[in-house]
Amino acid sequence: MSIALRGIAKKFGEFAAVKDIDLDVPTGALIALLGPSGCGKTTLLRIIAGLETPDQGQVLFDGRDATLWPIRDRNVGFVFQHYALFRHMSVFENVAFGLKVKPRRERPAGAEIRKKVHSLLELVQLDGAGDRYPAQLSGGQRQRVALARALAVDPAVLLLDEPFGALDSQVRHELRRWLRRLHDELHFTSIFVTHDQQEAIELADTIVVLNRGRIEQFGVPGEVYDLPTSAFAHRFLGQVNELPVQLRDGRAFLGPVDISPAAALRTDANYIALIRPHEIEIGPEASGWPAAVVAVRVIGPIVRLELCAEGRPVNEPMEAEISRERYEGEHFSVGQKVGLRFRRWQVYPANGAVA
Amino acid sequence: MAAAEVLSKGRRPGLARLLLIAVALLFLGLFLVMPLLVVFVQALAKGIGAYLVAISDPLAWTAIRLTLYVAAIAVPCNLLFGVAAAWAIAKFEFRGKSTLITLIDLPFAVSPVIAGLVFVLLFGSHGWFGGYLRMHHIRVIFAVPGIVLATIFVTFPFIARELIPVMQAQGKDDEETARSLGASGWQTFWHVTLPNIRWGLMYGVLLCNARAMGEFGAVSVVSGHIRGLTNTMPLHVEILYNEYNYTAAFAVASLLALLALLTLAGKSFLEWRQPELKHAARQVRDRTRRVNT
Repeated sequence: MSIALRGIAKKFGEFAAVKDIDLDVPTGALIALLGPSGCGKTTLLRIIAGLETPDQGQVLFDGRDATLWPIRDRNVGFVFQHYALFRHMSVFENVAFGLKVKPRRERPAGAEIRKKVHSLLELVQLDGAGDRYPAQLSGGQRQRVALARALAVDPAVLLLDEPFGALDSQVRHELRRWLRRLHDELHFTSIFVTHDQQEAIELADTIVVLNRGRIEQFGVPGEVYDLPTSAFAHRFLGQVNELPVQLRDGRAFLGPVDISPAAALRTDANYIALIRPHEIEIGPEASGWPAAVVAVRVIGPIVRLELCAEGRPVNEPMEAEISRERYEGEHFSVGQKVGLRFRRWQVYPANGAVA
Repeated sequence: MAAAEVLSKGRRPGLARLLLIAVALLFLGLFLVMPLLVVFVQALAKGIGAYLVAISDPLAWTAIRLTLYVAAIAVPCNLLFGVAAAWAIAKFEFRGKSTLITLIDLPFAVSPVIAGLVFVLLFGSHGWFGGYLRMHHIRVIFAVPGIVLATIFVTFPFIARELIPVMQAQGKDDEETARSLGASGWQTFWHVTLPNIRWGLMYGVLLCNARAMGEFGAVSVVSGHIRGLTNTMPLHVEILYNEYNYTAAFAVASLLALLALLTLAGKSFLEWRQPELKHAARQVRDRTRRVNT
């Protein structure tokens, strides 16, 4: 099922949670709504689910206006961050719930329900746990039961609200891969909410970056990461170094490094340059902006260096990342003098809009 | 923390604890256990025979029947109201919600005597609806309906008060999940909400029932103390006492006390039977902890 949002707005009292949102989700897409807390991502998800009614705008399901449809008519599966398993029911009963509450005409026979629940439990790798109660399961298992329960009613759309937020990082990683496989096998449309950029990049086909109730950027993960259209998106999608741009003689500089863009910058405004850690090039001292290594941290395959460049405050070192292989070859150590250049950068006016 | 520090600084850390326990026990014995014992001792002072005679008195029996009758109406009414109010307050946002919460507490704040008087002013022969009721030959005050009304008013908050925090702590996720799975409103209530609140609900019903049977002040004002007609057990006890018929008074009182003890036993049973409640509390704690981190 395809979903389209047209001019959606929702206020809670005086607080505008989402403002004038337009979004198209094609059938079979796996989309991440990404943003900091309070950006409106959960509200948007709940509007799609029918758990909230928008003040303005339309929700279209396959082109039909579903704005006022009650949730039970929408054919959506909703998964909460804290699973919301029915704790007085066994795993089996939880998964069977959606089948058992169907009107008598549509309700499958007992044997059919059993068969379906068992196949779903197999799908979420919990076959054999049907008699256990939610309290006896780990967090990851509970979330898989919640997914199986949502899938039991064959939803056309799966909506997930921070589905892995309450799990530790190992389980999270596994569940993401598993959900991705499931999505590819079953071809439903999925929308999930997250504040974790890595999760969005790992899992989604398309990322929608939200900020203060508006869509900040929309695109495939690589594009959103590499070509952010605003300082906000740039900051939110990964680590950045922020440096003030100095304007001299109509040219732009970071320290001694000339970063002048093609289009001229206005001389009466302030600009900042955002640079990701892996975009900093480290060479011999004479080759660029002189800097000192102030810390070295080996993180698995990468090595993070903290660098204090000449003329920069000591308590705001830049972060650069190099590969483990390069580190083992050149062996940077604390106190060493190096020269910095930049492979890529992006310049924004200091107030946050795009340059 | 602070208490632990004080204890560890003292020369004999056991002393403070012993003292506290002793004070608590003494207080408990003096003000709770002893009066309860006195009731039973007095009731049986003239032997088991006199006791049996006292409680098999027809007037005592009508009082017992009336008390049970009133409770049988008042408790279900407040059960319905309590669940509805707690549901509305915990699961929906609406204007005037805090006013409703305050209003629910009103019967706790108002003296029962005043509650009784309010009903007299409303339904008494000179009250607002007095003329209408007389015309239709309906007696409310100095009759059973008045007693029921007063009892409902006084026991109004017990179930709602018990349920509101339970339902608020559980949030809306379970209900919203059930709705998204296609359950109707009634199915959601019956299969999801009710099982989630059942222990809290039973606890509230027990407390409500205990109060409904024991209520004196409000009922006393509206009942008119007509023997054999509008006397509930507490009123009957008072009348017997005022007639210096101590054995009978304490015998009926002992029945009331027994009901109270049964209620308490039921409550402890619920608390003991509640691994699910404990589990629910733990989940709520985990949830808040996660939110806080």
